[in-house]
Amino acid sequence: MAGYILKRLVSAIPVLLGISIIVFLIMAMIPGDPATAILGSYATPENVEKLNRDLGLDKPLVQRYFIWLGNMLQGDFGRSFSLNRPVIDEVLERFNGTLILAGTSFVICSLLGVAAGVVSAARQYGLADKLITFVVLLGISIPSFFLGMMMILIFAVNLKWFPVSGMWPIYGARDFAALVSHLTLPALALATVATGVIARLSRSAMLEVLRQDFIRTARAKGVRERGVIWRHALRAAMVSIIPVLGIQAGFVLSGAVYIEIVFQWPGVGRMLVDAILTRDILLVQGGVVFVAACYVMFNIAVDVAQSLLDPRIKT
Amino acid sequence: MKLTDLTRRTLMASTAALALSLGAVPATAQTPEDVLIVGQIAEPKALDPAAVTAVNDFRILMNVFDGLVRYKDGTLEVEPALATDWTINEEGTVYTFNLREGVTFHDGSPFNAEAVVFNFERMLNEDHPYHDTGPFPLAFFFSAVESVEALDDTTVEFTLNAPYAPFLSNLAYPTGLLVSPTSVETHGADVGRNPAGTGPFKFVEWRSNEAVVVEANPDHWEGAPGLEAVVFRPITDANTRTAEMLAGGIDLMVEVPPVALSEFQGDGFTVHEQAGPHVWFLILNAKEGPFADVRVRQAANYAVNKEAIVNDVLEGTAEVAAGPTPPAFAWAYNDELEPYPYDPDRARELLAEAGAEGAELTFYVTEGGSGMLDPVAMGTAIQADLEAVGFDVTIETYEWNTFLGEVNPGLEGKADMAEMAWMTNDPDTLPFLALRTEAWPDQGGFNSGYYSNPEVDELLEAARVETDQAERARLYREMQTIVQEDAPWVFVANWKQNAVTNDRVDGFSLQPSFFLLLDDVTKD
Repeated sequence: MAGYILKRLVSAIPVLLGISIIVFLIMAMIPGDPATAILGSYATPENVEKLNRDLGLDKPLVQRYFIWLGNMLQGDFGRSFSLNRPVIDEVLERFNGTLILAGTSFVICSLLGVAAGVVSAARQYGLADKLITFVVLLGISIPSFFLGMMMILIFAVNLKWFPVSGMWPIYGARDFAALVSHLTLPALALATVATGVIARLSRSAMLEVLRQDFIRTARAKGVRERGVIWRHALRAAMVSIIPVLGIQAGFVLSGAVYIEIVFQWPGVGRMLVDAILTRDILLVQGGVVFVAACYVMFNIAVDVAQSLLDPRIKT
Repeated sequence: MKLTDLTRRTLMASTAALALSLGAVPATAQTPEDVLIVGQIAEPKALDPAAVTAVNDFRILMNVFDGLVRYKDGTLEVEPALATDWTINEEGTVYTFNLREGVTFHDGSPFNAEAVVFNFERMLNEDHPYHDTGPFPLAFFFSAVESVEALDDTTVEFTLNAPYAPFLSNLAYPTGLLVSPTSVETHGADVGRNPAGTGPFKFVEWRSNEAVVVEANPDHWEGAPGLEAVVFRPITDANTRTAEMLAGGIDLMVEVPPVALSEFQGDGFTVHEQAGPHVWFLILNAKEGPFADVRVRQAANYAVNKEAIVNDVLEGTAEVAAGPTPPAFAWAYNDELEPYPYDPDRARELLAEAGAEGAELTFYVTEGGSGMLDPVAMGTAIQADLEAVGFDVTIETYEWNTFLGEVNPGLEGKADMAEMAWMTNDPDTLPFLALRTEAWPDQGGFNSGYYSNPEVDELLEAARVETDQAERARLYREMQTIVQEDAPWVFVANWKQNAVTNDRVDGFSLQPSFFLLLDDVTKD
């Protein structure tokens, strides 16, 4: 197992290098430079040139890439010029916000999605299945940012059950209860689509398994239906559900961008959007590489979990 | 049946958990008295006046810092602030300021002539030990400054390399706000997160992506402000900002989207409006193609239904522009100018005279950007108006920074017209940078449509060095008449900035400068 993990880790290196090159090139090639973005109306060629020099952007492309890569390997992600603070401080702080939001959403959509899928499969074509299918399709069809806005309008503006936006109250204790009240709406809005997808795929994975011989055997030897479904069938179905969860984790992470904007959540997605608009090159590059690294690590973890469940996968 | 039992139980458990989380938390607490919560449009970049360029940052800075001079309440005219008075030599090249005595920065260090010198040296002198705390993108506002000297503790003298009339209003701009030298020495490049000025509010804390908190400065030279504290919250999404305002999470909201204004019509809210030094226009390519003919440029001005754009597209959040200078510069504005009326027949006549019926136009439109209002909808309306009189208009849309990269180098060989908007602090800035012959893009200016009229050039050069305000105003008025006739642009709109306060807030008004001044505001 240790060898397998090591092998996967080593294979992640070229992936991350490739990502660093791609994001660097994209930032270098998109029209508009940071100086123009900062100066706005006042971006005369003269002012732009001077500011780019001050920002260290007048060096050749290749040289700039290797300076950036070299610094990053030593843990120095550079300084965000638009926020005037170290990139890594901002990214870590924001990633913490995203992790809380996306993590909660991921837990919600995994539990609800798998549970709904299992119930659907167990009662195929029954009332529960039809009801769940209906709700799930509705959930998949609603864009999350629209759902988020509607939730704000209903539960925050009209009913005043939850705050509209932010992660912490401006005044008052910054305790767990405050976090939960701020987290509930965005986490649910973000979880909706992924819940639907996971429910659909769990349902078909379960149906597949329920048709197999060992289930019939289990039933024949008198295992109770509850045990058949949750212990025998689900465990076998998990092998195909887990990769789906891994992919959905990526969707939740990227879907967080919209939700963070709608709910003014201090996360890394909103940070990246702002950074792209202001052409904050180092912040975009550092943020993307960091998020990509986390995503790669998460996928390795998923693969490891899958191989633990199904020893045949270990190669 | 066991299975349904289980799901029902799970369902009940999760419902209970949710209800618990609902009940346990008082959702939206009432915001405290005497603390104003302001909904800003974005996280500030830095709280260092020399280092920032965005109106969003200026809204905080103007309450924490003072400059030598400032704009008089409700106008764009300069009045004393940290300088009590000043003299200008006859050539208009030496400005001597007498400073207010007994003022201290929030960090306790004294405000004096040396502090003023430090601020400008830091920005302008590349050898200054703290020049590396920049970059200072708007330092060129003071590029005419040759030297700054402290004559004694309370007298400071600026020597300019040539007469430069906008100097005083540039000093009133946030770039001219004065920072405590001690705070720069202590914090270096991080001074933007640890600001110390002399203003009515003192910086308390900056919680990243959450809030900037400032509290009253009881020792301010004008007396303590009416509020105990102000919290600036960045809420980038306009719909979310509106929802926070409706829910009572913020007391003051700036830049209300036009479509949301109707939400605030009832009791409980006050909508504030103020025209500012903003003009929204179309740059016309006067060098080549159909717009090289002045009649075609005038035809475009007649063809566009400006009233419909400001009333229907912008929901009344702007007024029709008459010429290149916004009316907010009251002292320099030519009241006699009437906007080009909406007259499609006249436009068709002019087109026929010029033989330009059916002329094909490429029109650059941006998706959004500073001061651009609702550029896509406005561009589409303009396209329809122009097509109605016989133009054939193709729109090309670009993201803002890309758009600037296309437009600023000039439209030649690419497009016939482009949207543009400017907000400035002096009537000199926009025409000087965007209408003079020497401001063509190849010479480093913003005259992307290659307009050229020697008479206008002369007027602008003369106004820039004229220190007598009445004479300066006369020159600008004359310039506006000529430019309107020459129609290098289609003059479309002057934006009215808006804000909403709830009924707990008193004493608030917007300024034509677009700054947010909170020292007279109270909240119960």
